[in-house]
Amino acid sequence: MALLQIAEPGQSTVPHEHRLAVGIDLGTTNSLVATVKSGLSETIVDSEGNDILPSVVSYQENEILVGNKAKELAIVDPENTIVSSKRLIGRSLTDIQSKYHSLPYQFCGDENHPSFVTRSGKINPVQVSAEILKTLSDRAEKALGGELTGVVITVPAYFDDAQRQSTKDAAKLASVNVLRLLNEPTAAAVAYGLDKEHQEHQEGIIAVYDLGGGTFDISILRLNKGVFEVLATGGDSALGGDDFDVALVDFIIEQADLERPLSPTIERQLLDQACKAKEALTSNDVHQISLTLTADKKWSGEITKDQFEQLIKPLVAKTLRACRRALKDAEIEICAVNEVVMVGGSTRVPLVRAETEKYFDKTPLTSIDPDKVVAIGAAIQADILAGNKPDNDMLLLDVIPLSLGLETMGGLVEKVISRNTTIPVAKAQEFTTFKDGQTAMVIHVLQGERELVDDCRSLARFELRGIPAMTAGAAHIRVTFKVDADGLLEVSAMEKSTGVESSIEVKPSFGLAEEEITSMLKASMTNAEDDMQARMLKEQQVEAARVIESVQSALNTDSHLLSSDENSKINQAISELAKISQGSKPDDIEKAIEKLNHFTATFAEKRMDASIKTALSGQTVDDI
Amino acid sequence: MNYFEMFGLEETFSVDLKQLAERFQAIQKSVHPDRFAHASSQEQLLAVKKSTAVNDAYQTLKNPIKRAEYILSLRGVEIPSEQVTFSDNMFLMRQMELREMLAEIKFADDVDAAVFEVNQVLEIEFEQLFKAMQVSLHENSDNSNKSACESLRKLKFYQKLHLELDRLEDLLFDD
Repeated sequence: MALLQIAEPGQSTVPHEHRLAVGIDLGTTNSLVATVKSGLSETIVDSEGNDILPSVVSYQENEILVGNKAKELAIVDPENTIVSSKRLIGRSLTDIQSKYHSLPYQFCGDENHPSFVTRSGKINPVQVSAEILKTLSDRAEKALGGELTGVVITVPAYFDDAQRQSTKDAAKLASVNVLRLLNEPTAAAVAYGLDKEHQEHQEGIIAVYDLGGGTFDISILRLNKGVFEVLATGGDSALGGDDFDVALVDFIIEQADLERPLSPTIERQLLDQACKAKEALTSNDVHQISLTLTADKKWSGEITKDQFEQLIKPLVAKTLRACRRALKDAEIEICAVNEVVMVGGSTRVPLVRAETEKYFDKTPLTSIDPDKVVAIGAAIQADILAGNKPDNDMLLLDVIPLSLGLETMGGLVEKVISRNTTIPVAKAQEFTTFKDGQTAMVIHVLQGERELVDDCRSLARFELRGIPAMTAGAAHIRVTFKVDADGLLEVSAMEKSTGVESSIEVKPSFGLAEEEITSMLKASMTNAEDDMQARMLKEQQVEAARVIESVQSALNTDSHLLSSDENSKINQAISELAKISQGSKPDDIEKAIEKLNHFTATFAEKRMDASIKTALSGQTVDDI
Repeated sequence: MNYFEMFGLEETFSVDLKQLAERFQAIQKSVHPDRFAHASSQEQLLAVKKSTAVNDAYQTLKNPIKRAEYILSLRGVEIPSEQVTFSDNMFLMRQMELREMLAEIKFADDVDAAVFEVNQVLEIEFEQLFKAMQVSLHENSDNSNKSACESLRKLKFYQKLHLELDRLEDLLFDD
């Protein structure tokens, strides 16, 4: 007998459409993409069956190569082949040059926006990341057979605001819709916390030790009934397996009696040999190294596991100091940690495992491949954020890794939001003028823990003008910091004593300006103007569909919160928007969306308050 | 809606932290921006706003010092700014002594032990003041609120010393 589909009046009978969403682990050395398929999170492979994409981009005359093909060119064409660009993203030129002195690239551009000079012109690190994101999202769309609704991109927990902002810019350049920037250790915690084979690890305190190619993160989380609460995070955004290689390279140079500067080809060869030695020494006690110095001059030597461990011991000790600080910030004793999770390829190094195990006095969990665990966790989050699991009650509560503050008199930093504060967060601080008749004020935004401006990361500097002239100390300037769920900062300032408001929004000085992104996008399109127009139309249509869907589902459940007049106004605005979004004018669609938003503003607020009440009443019933 | 009302809690200084945490999480599950990642921009903005307010309320009630300050502000008692001078000379003298103890740490033969010792002294004195503040807050009269405010100001000095001790520890062990 055929079954009739039963639906409550007003409820949609269409089953929830499955939206395609993926998690991308944008790593220093390797990148991956994963998705949830029939309840399981899995990495997606390319046409050759590889899931790992080396984070290498090579700029050739007429083409851009990404991944293995680019990696092959790293030794023969180092100037045009960008390796580990994640270490350079969101950083200043001075920063880069003081930290990495043997990079084979030629830099150009200004201090805050360094670019590489390549065969296909000036390329900045954001563009390099965009190429990797594009390659992975193309791979996913091909494998899943459709357009992606959105992606979750992971970033090191210890990334500062400029590095996060740049990662988001890269996604924009790659035309990828970012659902969320997710911290790598949090993603790993999700993968372990929701893994069916690890039921016993799903409550309590876990420490995630994440040593990747170029970054180190330690996060301390409390897991409780689907809530992943990050208590503290710490690390070093310039410490990773690459540094093991650098230490090895220096060792080989010394052994082979070489002297810097060396040619880029030899530098790359050295790195290559170092990398191989590091991998070999995870299972062997000794490894042979050979170098081709000139066409007829070769060198060979050996390194023992013991020598290697001596070289990296100080680096491993540095990671453990970060662990100590994170535990202290979390107010957790070492013995209270229930599980230690190992993430990142560099945790394969036996010394790293041994030292971590000794420090936490616990055998670390490594059952999920440390190279894939971040992408797997990100995919789970992406699936939920895309709306595929409306009944799932997983919740991630993350924190900001570094304090945010402002410059005050004497080159000191006044903290506005301290590190390890749960996001989203907003804080305001009041300042005043110190001179009579002062009409402008410089607002310098900084990130870091140190007291002096020079020791912190400068994020942005802007001027608040138009302060009415008053005696010193009479003006009240309110500076507001807002950090959203991606961990991105927005600063605004306002003079409020006279009711005159002048406020400004800043974008960190290291990020790309909106116009730059647009022009780079245009440059990458064949019919720039038309394509841009098409893209804007598409964006507005997607937003219109989203608005209509969410308002309709809100009406289905909560129309009792509205008067019949409000109800009909909203319905009318919906039909108008539906009609206009069929057209081809993005501006008109935007206006229609705004109109609908205007009618639903209080409705949305009422609904959210009602849901808080429901959440609370569920709690109070539980308590009884 | 004040922070206590937000979590459906009684307006007292003694808060059941476990209950607070549970309610906080329950509310965040319904307002966190992650719940609205696929919703309209309007709802996303609203979620960020609500979630921010809930985080702020939680941080305030979770931390006893911030909670005390908040309760006092609800009772109309404003904490004087740091610039306003203290009249309690005994207290100020003691603060100077404690600062000297901090400064001496790095010259100690056994730095670990010195840190531990100063930490204990700070904790004991903090506890005493904290208990006094608790009693005054509970009494809730004009006079007791004033003395709670006084204790709170003093506690903040101890908090600062603690921060400095932490920083010192970081410096001593990071080299």
